[in-house]
Amino acid sequence: MRENHLKILQYVTGIGLFFLVGGYHLLLMHFGKGDPESWSSVAQRAASAGWLTIYILILIFGIYHGLHGVRGLILEFSLPDRAVKVLNYSIVFVGIAVFGYAVYIPIHAF
Amino acid sequence: MEATSKQKAPLPNRLGIKGWAWAGRYKIERYLYTLHRLTGFGLLAYVALHLVANGSRLWGQGSWESTMNFLSNPGFKVGEYLVMAAFIYHALNGGRLMLQHLGFTLGKPKPPIYPYVDAMRRRRPLTWVLLALIMGLAIYVLVAFVIYP
Repeated sequence: MRENHLKILQYVTGIGLFFLVGGYHLLLMHFGKGDPESWSSVAQRAASAGWLTIYILILIFGIYHGLHGVRGLILEFSLPDRAVKVLNYSIVFVGIAVFGYAVYIPIHAF
Repeated sequence: MEATSKQKAPLPNRLGIKGWAWAGRYKIERYLYTLHRLTGFGLLAYVALHLVANGSRLWGQGSWESTMNFLSNPGFKVGEYLVMAAFIYHALNGGRLMLQHLGFTLGKPKPPIYPYVDAMRRRRPLTWVLLALIMGLAIYVLVAFVIYP
């Protein structure tokens, strides 16, 4: 049952990513004013609660979707139980580390 | 994976990664599944690169601008297009897989009357429509990249 729940979350994060990344890209590249990659635009977005919320949601969904996908591929290789446990802890550790680093950037860069 | 008392232990995966490409007569959907994995890896690699590039902000405006200048070379533009194409493919094929896993596109069960048509072939039109949509969107994005580089 636990694996089913994780799989359903994989679907939910996939759908979420489709709309969040698609919406973020459209807003930024097609409906935004000025150069979205300029220092002033990037600093402005980092100071905006709305943009930061979208960024953090994309991070959470993306990290879960990506790492759960990789976990699924690795689990296909008939691992012993102990290796599965190590894999699970490693995936969670990598996810938290990447999330921490990615959130640290906009908060501490400006 | 750990098997509970009610589950049978899964068979050992003897083919390993070679099974992604060949283990008998795979149908087109199996290769789409393999491509789904490869595009997933590609998108993960892009996210890693994106985070490294974003990290250059931590060293100030000069570092950020030199990173952006470096990433604006034509090689990275081609890479950007490939990321877009991979995103389109991964998203639309993922939608198809999701619908099929949840049983929405399987159709009604039919009696096994000769010549037998398996479920995979009954769902084939959906696959062709999906591939046409992916090709159309990928070409549209390519044209947009060429017109607005």
